[in-house]
Amino acid sequence: MKRVAWVYHPDYLLHAPPFEHPESPERLVAITDHLGRVGLIERMVPVTPEYPEDADILSVHDPEYLNKLEHACRRGDLTLDSEDTYLNRHSFNIALLSAGGAIAGAKAVAEGTVDRAFCAIRPPGHHAGSDVGMGFCLLNNAAVAARYLQARHGVGKVLIVDWDVHHGNGTQNIFLEDPTVFYFSIHEHPTFLYPGTGRRWEIGKGKGEGATLNAPMAPGAGDGEFRTTFEQTLEPAVVRFRPEVILISAGFDAHRDDPLADLHVTEEGFRFMTRHVLALADRFCEGKVVSILEGGYEISSLTSCIEIHVRELLGE
Amino acid sequence: MFVARRMKKNIVTAAPSASLFEARRRMLEHTIPQLPVVSEDGTLVGIVSDRDIRAAVLPAGLVPGFTAGEAERFMKSTPVERVMTRKVVTAALTDTLEDAIVLLHDFRVNALPVVDSAGKVAGIISRTDVLEAFIDAFGVGEVSSRLEVVVPDRPGMLAQLAAIIGSFHVNITSVLSIPHEEGKRADFLRVATMNVGPIRKAIEEAGFEILDPSKFIL
Repeated sequence: MKRVAWVYHPDYLLHAPPFEHPESPERLVAITDHLGRVGLIERMVPVTPEYPEDADILSVHDPEYLNKLEHACRRGDLTLDSEDTYLNRHSFNIALLSAGGAIAGAKAVAEGTVDRAFCAIRPPGHHAGSDVGMGFCLLNNAAVAARYLQARHGVGKVLIVDWDVHHGNGTQNIFLEDPTVFYFSIHEHPTFLYPGTGRRWEIGKGKGEGATLNAPMAPGAGDGEFRTTFEQTLEPAVVRFRPEVILISAGFDAHRDDPLADLHVTEEGFRFMTRHVLALADRFCEGKVVSILEGGYEISSLTSCIEIHVRELLGE
Repeated sequence: MFVARRMKKNIVTAAPSASLFEARRRMLEHTIPQLPVVSEDGTLVGIVSDRDIRAAVLPAGLVPGFTAGEAERFMKSTPVERVMTRKVVTAALTDTLEDAIVLLHDFRVNALPVVDSAGKVAGIISRTDVLEAFIDAFGVGEVSSRLEVVVPDRPGMLAQLAAIIGSFHVNITSVLSIPHEEGKRADFLRVATMNVGPIRKAIEEAGFEILDPSKFIL
């Protein structure tokens, strides 16, 4: 059995919507309840995240944006710019702690105290750009973790595999011109789903050209299409890139029961994707995988998919 | 919207006496497939495309023994006015974008020189410029979600949809409405939110049909 970090902090529940909203603390409550009930949490290594160092956040986000976010929370603003991204008085701190969770998972894996990590964190991050929050995301947790690994652990090349059903426009933009962080996203096609980016010809810019790879899926696509894409599109790219660590932006909203999107992935699809990424990590990066929670809004499928995801991480 | 807003104003032209060689060089340099041909006072006298040039060189190229050097000499010694199209399909400065779209479509041309009331070239509008206008109109690339709603073909339906979306404090970034089945229209909306679930539900509760994305019409 592999040692898998369980990164979680009870304060993650403090970022709560002032109105009915799918990205709610109940998601994490349900995940911890479920994983506890099936006896998985006790088999993982508990890791309590800390507030990150300024430098680790500033490696991704602009100071003006952080100021703006902090003041909006202190003022009691209910939303940030677009009305879909809510705030409360805790949101700024909890967003920092969420990024701190991704860092804690990355740290545990980089230092070898665990083989793999699952970061049960929120708010999610992959829509957040360096100077903008949107799509329920405030700070880009996966991007912060990638930069942290490079700055503090001498990691050269990081691969981010983003299987959240929405395109991670924030992550893509942050690393658009960066050849050292390869961003792969599989998501529902931008014509049909938020945020409207992630077309197949978006492949990075300048020095980063070729280090972004998008696989948009037509509505109705499911396990078969995801499997083909992982085997025929992602895998050859990973073989060429040779990452040293793999981060997963693990959203579970491509599930057929999720109300926010139109794809039909099942529990078995998430099992396959997890296994596939772990196999790639074994081939290229001594098994180093840090899985970071993104979306997933239908509680029953969210918990069952994460159970399978964690069982695969544990190598049962 | 008027063509003047979407046309390119820094136009590259050719004189009637310019050689085919020079015209082709300009097209390559600016990556454009045609040049308006203008007289010294700026009056439009024709248009020459890369296809016109190719068509002029091709027959000679079929002669046995014709070399690249001869082709170049031919292109250098042949003036544009010998191969240009003289009856140019143009747009007027006061034409609308719709006029330009219909002209480009009906006359099957790639670009329209835009002329002012004195017959001088003020700009050029190409199919690419029109496509750019459509990209903007569709809201492609704007952070948003998309809805397609089938509504009865009668007044006030779009207003109801807009009111529902407005009640969620969500911005509408693009609207298109097209005829659908008998007695119905399909309204296509881009909305600036990731949280479309409650909006979809409210629209359905108001009695409208939201299309399944795999059945989108537009």
